[in-house]
Amino acid sequence: MHIIRYTYPTARSLAPTTAFQGRSPWAGLESEIDRLFANALGEFSEPAAGNTFPVDLYEDKTNTYVRAELPGVNRDAIHVEMVEDNLSIQASRTQKTGDREEAFAFSRTLSVPENVQADKVSASYENGVLTVTLPKREEAKPKKVSIAVN
Amino acid sequence: MSLVQSIVPFLARRPAPAAELGATVKPQHTLREAPDAWTLTVYLPGVTKENLEVTTEAGALSIVGRRVWQQPKDWTALYRETSSANFAATFEYDLSVDEEKIRAELKDGVLQVTLPKAAALQPRRIAVQ
Repeated sequence: MHIIRYTYPTARSLAPTTAFQGRSPWAGLESEIDRLFANALGEFSEPAAGNTFPVDLYEDKTNTYVRAELPGVNRDAIHVEMVEDNLSIQASRTQKTGDREEAFAFSRTLSVPENVQADKVSASYENGVLTVTLPKREEAKPKKVSIAVN
Repeated sequence: MSLVQSIVPFLARRPAPAAELGATVKPQHTLREAPDAWTLTVYLPGVTKENLEVTTEAGALSIVGRRVWQQPKDWTALYRETSSANFAATFEYDLSVDEEKIRAELKDGVLQVTLPKAAALQPRRIAVQ
């Protein structure tokens, strides 16, 4: 349980302190509100900027899966590499607007569980989503041992 | 409720599509202007042609994209950054757009909507006699 104590402004805290010694109670309020709004609204409708992309990590008994949302990327322009325990995904997108052509590059490196068979990693790209399948090593798979009870 | 609906037909209307979709997110998009058309690029990762609806009604272009992929039962999510919410967005336009000629193309999760400008508004060279 959390106990939160709110300090309400009192007449004393609101009164201009002698020669504005302390911090005004409203100092930074405006920027704080701006920040709140930027946090709450920033995710929506912002054009695809930056060079990163969202990824999801899933696992089942035999594989670990990485799903990355990379809309509008050429299959040839996707490079997936395993470097030790890190999976790096690089992609680029070219966008034609009339005569101009713009290029966007994305890259991301994820650390994946250690028990991956790096040589058997496979990837597929469909409808703008890249799925990387990372098979687990044999010893990492849960083993079923049935024991006879006498 | 049905009595109320029979008295006030307005209340019997179907709910807006967004209500059926559950929570929706507005997809990332960019709008660019060329002399003869506007191009709206909407990023809809994981949406196929069959699951995308683009409709125009009363000066508004609405885009509804449903995600096809469902997390298989035996997959456990370890870490997630994406949301499973469907995409929905509405864009309003004015009479400068030639509604009859709006084209849409979906490729690899990117929807490109071309909204040609009405012929009367396009730049035109006037021959000098």
